[in-house]
Amino acid sequence: MIQQIEASPDEIYDIELEHSLLEANAKLAQENRALLDHHGITAIDVMGAIGSGKTTLITRLVEGLKDQIGVAVFNGDATTSNDADLIASQSVPVVQIATVKGCHLDANLVGKALRKTKLDNLRLIFIENIGNLICPAEFPLGSKARVVVVSVTEGPYMVRKHPHMFLGAQLVVINKIDLAEAMGVSVSELSEDVHRLKPDITVIPTSCKTGAGIDQVNSALLAV
Amino acid sequence: MHELSIASAVVDNILEFVAERSIKRVIAVRLAVGELSHVEEEQLRFCYMAITQETLIRDSALEIDRIPAVVRCHHCDYSGRPKYWEDALSAAPVPTLQCPNCGGAVEPVEGTDCAIKSVRFVSDEPVETVPGSSDFASDPS
Repeated sequence: MIQQIEASPDEIYDIELEHSLLEANAKLAQENRALLDHHGITAIDVMGAIGSGKTTLITRLVEGLKDQIGVAVFNGDATTSNDADLIASQSVPVVQIATVKGCHLDANLVGKALRKTKLDNLRLIFIENIGNLICPAEFPLGSKARVVVVSVTEGPYMVRKHPHMFLGAQLVVINKIDLAEAMGVSVSELSEDVHRLKPDITVIPTSCKTGAGIDQVNSALLAV
Repeated sequence: MHELSIASAVVDNILEFVAERSIKRVIAVRLAVGELSHVEEEQLRFCYMAITQETLIRDSALEIDRIPAVVRCHHCDYSGRPKYWEDALSAAPVPTLQCPNCGGAVEPVEGTDCAIKSVRFVSDEPVETVPGSSDFASDPS
């Protein structure tokens, strides 16, 4: 047992700090946004679980856009460059952001990636966040819209199990709908769950395999 | 586990605060954590304890106030607590951005931040404090 002697109360002080812990990131996100706006670029933060199909979706979206507008991709991944390599096969600029042990991208890392990128002639940047359904929500990156990718292979309760991610998003993509029947998962019920959390959010069902919904997602992103 | 990033930010801020003043010991750090922020209290406490181990503030207590969510509806002018999803699969009801009054989309206006509210410490020298700032749960005297 450690004995402790308390200081007399007249030596004890309380000071109010009111210091936001999220502000540092939020400020950098604003700087990123200002830089992007200055160049007329829309950045889209793509979030979702590991295996939800973020990389494949971005590859399909880039495929449909790259001949019309300048597109680049920032690829957040803990250690590997597999995803970046896959997207680079589309011959668009790709920056790999390795977070090593970090569970989310933050505005500082995205700012660094922006400084490494030739921004002239770009119109859209996809930022693929780390496969994680909680942490990225707390760290805005400076994007104009946040997209959550959910796949039917994550099961019927995916949305209600991870509600927080959806509150800050502007678009939800329900992916792999070609597998919905085999999985016994209802796309409309997943969509209803999303709207229960956020009534005004856009939900687009897609299949990267058949190409269903891909054009709709691109139109929605260009309109934000 | 972004609680580690948050806890590191708390510790960095407090250590900086301590370095600028004649402080003998930090007794407690009080945080205000919004209901709509994605911070898990237990993990935050664990990270704080782990990070402060080797620092000057290792014996300080971390006190956490939960700040309730407040939302505003632009459709029907409702302002107040959000609608909760009671039977979702979470351990606690989930706050939503659906208006409890008209079912439209609402904007969060309070309860999204995570901030250091105040710090309680022992000092050798008199320190100017704001009157009425003593909001710590336990009075150490």
